[in-house]
Amino acid sequence: MSDDAELLQRIRAGAVEEFAELVQRHQARVCAIVYRYERDAHRVEDLAQETFLKAWRALEQFDGRAPFEHWISRIAVRTALDHLRREKRHQNEVALPELGEDALDWLRSPDEKGDISSRDAAEVLHRAMQQLSPADRVIITMQELEDRSVKEIAATLGISGIAVRVRAVRARAKLKHALERLADL
Amino acid sequence: MNEKKLNQLFAAARNDVAPEMPGSFAAKVMRSLRVQPRAVSAELNSVWDHLNSLFPRIAFTAAAVIILCVATDWGLTAIGLPDVTDGSAQVASQYLFTPDNL
Repeated sequence: MSDDAELLQRIRAGAVEEFAELVQRHQARVCAIVYRYERDAHRVEDLAQETFLKAWRALEQFDGRAPFEHWISRIAVRTALDHLRREKRHQNEVALPELGEDALDWLRSPDEKGDISSRDAAEVLHRAMQQLSPADRVIITMQELEDRSVKEIAATLGISGIAVRVRAVRARAKLKHALERLADL
Repeated sequence: MNEKKLNQLFAAARNDVAPEMPGSFAAKVMRSLRVQPRAVSAELNSVWDHLNSLFPRIAFTAAAVIILCVATDWGLTAIGLPDVTDGSAQVASQYLFTPDNL
């Protein structure tokens, strides 16, 4: 299997159908990124598709200095960010799924001794992060769930590293507050 | 919600696995992109393309040079010095087109 650079070279030379191979190679990663921001499987698929279409339209801008994987990941995060902004505008129209009893029990317990499943934890975070701004959600998600560096987050959002650090601290505090309110429901 | 509990929540959420894309996903993307023309390269093809791309700069530079010349001429005339046209006429009559050189 040839690497991405060779594949891209062939696509640019006119072998359009080979873009499908590129999609297959990176769809799992794109899907994993988008899934951090959207829990509905159909919407995840739509956002992943939108990511690849954006990449296709901007393929000439990819200069190959960074791996294709990094480039497509950044497009995926920006696509998710646009989605969150659209969603924020229609927040009142979106019905949020109820949290399960296990998740609520864990959330309401006073200490951290009990376990919470990964699915419940993701659901709880998703619910609480609805209270944050789209940019704050991206910062928290990239920093805490994807272990991305401040530099990467800054480049993705187009803000300075200092701004990322400051916003991360504030976003974390807001998230704690949102989780406490969720536990009180 | 203390820091330890929040970190526990993050740690658990990190392991949440995204759903797999359906097998037809790549084909679906390909169907969509067939109706989406790729952005044409910014590569310029001819001399005219280059001139077209440079036109605003050339026009601005030309306008700046004209304004500078007019202002200089006007300034020299105002302070009583021979202006640019006088100077060139003098040079032409005294040195370039003297009867000896013709």
